[in-house]
Amino acid sequence: MDLAQIAVMLAAAALYLMILPARWRGWALMIGSVVAIYWLQPSLAIRWLDYALPTAILAITMLGWYFTLPQDVKPMRADIAAFTVTILIVLTLSLTRYIDVPLQLTTRPPPLETVAAALAALLLGGVLLRRFLPPKALLWLAMIGLIVLFGVVKTPALAQEAARLLRLNAGQDSTLAAGSELAWLGFSYVAFRLIQTIRDRQSGILPALSLSEYLTFIVFAPAFTAGPIARAENFTESFRALPGMTGRDAQRITVGLSRIAAGMFKKFVIADSLAAFSLSPVLAEQAQTTGSLWVMLYAYGFRLFFDFSGYTDIAIGLGILFGILLPENFDRPYLKNNITTFWQSWHKSLSDWVRFYVYSPLSRSMLRRKPKPSNYVIIFISTAATMVVIGLWHEVAIPFLIWGVWHAGGLFTHKVWSDKTRAWYRGLTAGRKRIWTAAGVLITLQFVMLGWVWFAMPTVNQALAVFAGLFGLNLGGAP
Amino acid sequence: MMPGWDWLTRAKYTGGFMLRVLLKAAILFAIINLLFALTNPIPALGMISIYNLLSPGRLRLPYGESESSYNLSLYDLNAMFASHTLNGRHNPDEAAVLVMGDSAVWGMLLENKDTLASCLDSRALSVDGRPARFYNIGYPTLSAAKDLLLLDRAMEYQPDLILWLVTLENMPRREQLATPLAQNNAAAMRDLIAAYDLDLDASDPRFVDLDFIGRTLIGQRRALADWWRLQLYAFPWAQTGIDQVIGDYTPRSNDFDEDATWYELAGAEQLDDTTLAFDVLNAGIARAGNVPVMMINEPIFVADGVNSDIRYNFWYPRWAYDRYRELMREHADAEGWTYLDLWDAVPPDEFTDSPVHLTPEGTQMLCGQIAEALP
Amino acid sequence: MTETEVREKLRQFILADLIKDPKYALTDDEGVVSGGLIDSFALAEIGVFAEQEFNVYIPDPDLTVAKMNTLNLMTARIMRDIK
Repeated sequence: MDLAQIAVMLAAAALYLMILPARWRGWALMIGSVVAIYWLQPSLAIRWLDYALPTAILAITMLGWYFTLPQDVKPMRADIAAFTVTILIVLTLSLTRYIDVPLQLTTRPPPLETVAAALAALLLGGVLLRRFLPPKALLWLAMIGLIVLFGVVKTPALAQEAARLLRLNAGQDSTLAAGSELAWLGFSYVAFRLIQTIRDRQSGILPALSLSEYLTFIVFAPAFTAGPIARAENFTESFRALPGMTGRDAQRITVGLSRIAAGMFKKFVIADSLAAFSLSPVLAEQAQTTGSLWVMLYAYGFRLFFDFSGYTDIAIGLGILFGILLPENFDRPYLKNNITTFWQSWHKSLSDWVRFYVYSPLSRSMLRRKPKPSNYVIIFISTAATMVVIGLWHEVAIPFLIWGVWHAGGLFTHKVWSDKTRAWYRGLTAGRKRIWTAAGVLITLQFVMLGWVWFAMPTVNQALAVFAGLFGLNLGGAP
Repeated sequence: MMPGWDWLTRAKYTGGFMLRVLLKAAILFAIINLLFALTNPIPALGMISIYNLLSPGRLRLPYGESESSYNLSLYDLNAMFASHTLNGRHNPDEAAVLVMGDSAVWGMLLENKDTLASCLDSRALSVDGRPARFYNIGYPTLSAAKDLLLLDRAMEYQPDLILWLVTLENMPRREQLATPLAQNNAAAMRDLIAAYDLDLDASDPRFVDLDFIGRTLIGQRRALADWWRLQLYAFPWAQTGIDQVIGDYTPRSNDFDEDATWYELAGAEQLDDTTLAFDVLNAGIARAGNVPVMMINEPIFVADGVNSDIRYNFWYPRWAYDRYRELMREHADAEGWTYLDLWDAVPPDEFTDSPVHLTPEGTQMLCGQIAEALP
Repeated sequence: MTETEVREKLRQFILADLIKDPKYALTDDEGVVSGGLIDSFALAEIGVFAEQEFNVYIPDPDLTVAKMNTLNLMTARIMRDIK
């Protein structure tokens, strides 16, 4: 989010808290978020795409709600209303094609007929699928569909192909297609929230949600750009308490604004200053000494933290103002003394998600096997799968895969070490424990920082060149 | 509720609390702005610099505005010079030579190692028997007044010799204050105008005079941000030595329209001390005091294309430039200048994108000529 | 199965299979994960134990430190769904 977007959301929060009648709050959040995702989506080179992508999110989300409705539940009046309002917003925005408005949220949208036809086809298809497929199959189909879509968007080669096809479809020069043209804001997070609801429905723990609650949960504006990933039941609890919430509450406003202020300082002052000398492909190539590479690497690590945790603070602060309690993402990660607690305090909402939907189910299914594999085998496989998912969630590319494996190795090593030394550690004096803790913090910090090389460099060769430079071998810019 | 944020969430806040915080913040903000406007700390802040402390100083004054060049244009002279290597400790046994001029001296389209100052520096020359170190304080934009401004500030570093490269395009009186650097250092320029009785308008509308709001913290936010950015660029500067991204350029024109005017003047008799700012050149020499100044007429591109019989190049019709050279010679003789006329010292092939910007080879040639003439 | 039976079976499992210290005096409200006695992988093992021993399926999102840190919490969770 940039300063202008934050300012607008703050203004919206002010109106919401001071003026808006309490019973309209839920609707305001839903409508506001639906409109916001069009505004937040940056404009793209491919025609219509910056209108189509948010529309696609809305359509997929409505299908997701419909598919995760328990079989015996029918849509209620409120759901029909929410559906109608959303469709109206989508269609009205498409009218900016014909009418010049001072505030354009997207570039020129496609013709109204095209939008209506596409929506009708998608939604009708969804209704038919639910009518004719058994519920289990429907949910699995939805999940697989989301994963495939995610794969296409996040794999550079596939994204480029998709961009090429979209360009052909739009009558534009397809030779200019690049994967980066498919910059689908918020999709990674939306996809994971949707998959979460599908899995929770499959295991029976998803509460019954109205369309308005579901839709707002998936596209809630402050958390849309980069999370946090809330849990549906927690989000809904806040959402349902909105009408009873005190608007002009000094506590809420102070805490919310303080979080936002803290986040803005972290992001726009600290992180943006560190950016001047953070590791980047350009600077890495220009580096002339080993020391400078280390400075750049640590700057990158801290910049990443301040940028992301600053953004999270702003998102959570805005959430508080609107009355929605979003989960935390960070808890002093660089001060943790082992890699396991690091991962419990870095991008928590994502690592929790992966723990619930990859690590835990995978571990349990292996634990149930007869004969039961050794614990270490199970942990190794589960940890590797978990970290690979987290890595590839950022981008389906080799450097992120290696990053995931790097952390999996660290986590597994720590697990073994921890098991072997647990009893011994309990017997240490307090002083000795402090020394080990300090050593742990340094080792963990170094381990994580080195891991960021794979994050910062887009190709394996560039990353290896940086490693070589960091350890004093062969410096002087890759060709 | 929010782990790690207990200090924030544990306290109880009331409407009264919020109001008090807002009030205190507003008052504090107003006071800070007021103090800022009254004390004008920007020049003092400019003297604080990471350069020459945690990173080597820049080899030329900051200029330019692209992120990939790790450079920016700012107007605070203190900050500019504080970041320059001239501000670092130098050896009192060495003679410090300042090389002054326009973008050709600064080194447009040249890396630092190919600039005039670097070339002279690499030749192990001596001035007055002492080993000489050459400092590039050239600055793009064409104005002798701008050179005077920089010279005035640079005299604090007690140079031993000054090489001042000029060209006709620096000289038109009405263009002296056309450069943003001069416009944004109104006080210093006005002091110079008064001190040397220059024929420049102290109340020229182009001067940027900040009103009260402009002098507050809010008004000066750009200057503050620029200072901060300059410090941030110290690391990439130290690491990469990059302060200019040199790309492709359009070569200087060789063919011209049939136009023999220069700044709407058409005859040699119109070029004199009123239209050309010779008083500024003399003021510079006066400001240098005991420090010798070598005035150098820098090389220009001599074209051979269409209408090159009436124009030397895109900037200069022949009559104007010839007259200028005459005037320079007259002034040099009358005022006792040390004057070097190198207008044709560099062959036409060694010019890049303007009538004065040289290639590395061209700079070498100029460098050689100057080196021979040094005391 | 009564609550006491459930609690004792859990205690046995934790002491024997997880902490691997049958003599440890585990109290009912002691934080087993937060106290460093077991780690979060052990929660998965507890989940499978609950399935196999009590026929209670605890969904993965409920196998968190917050919800399963003490013997009391674990017992209550199982008693909620036990048939």
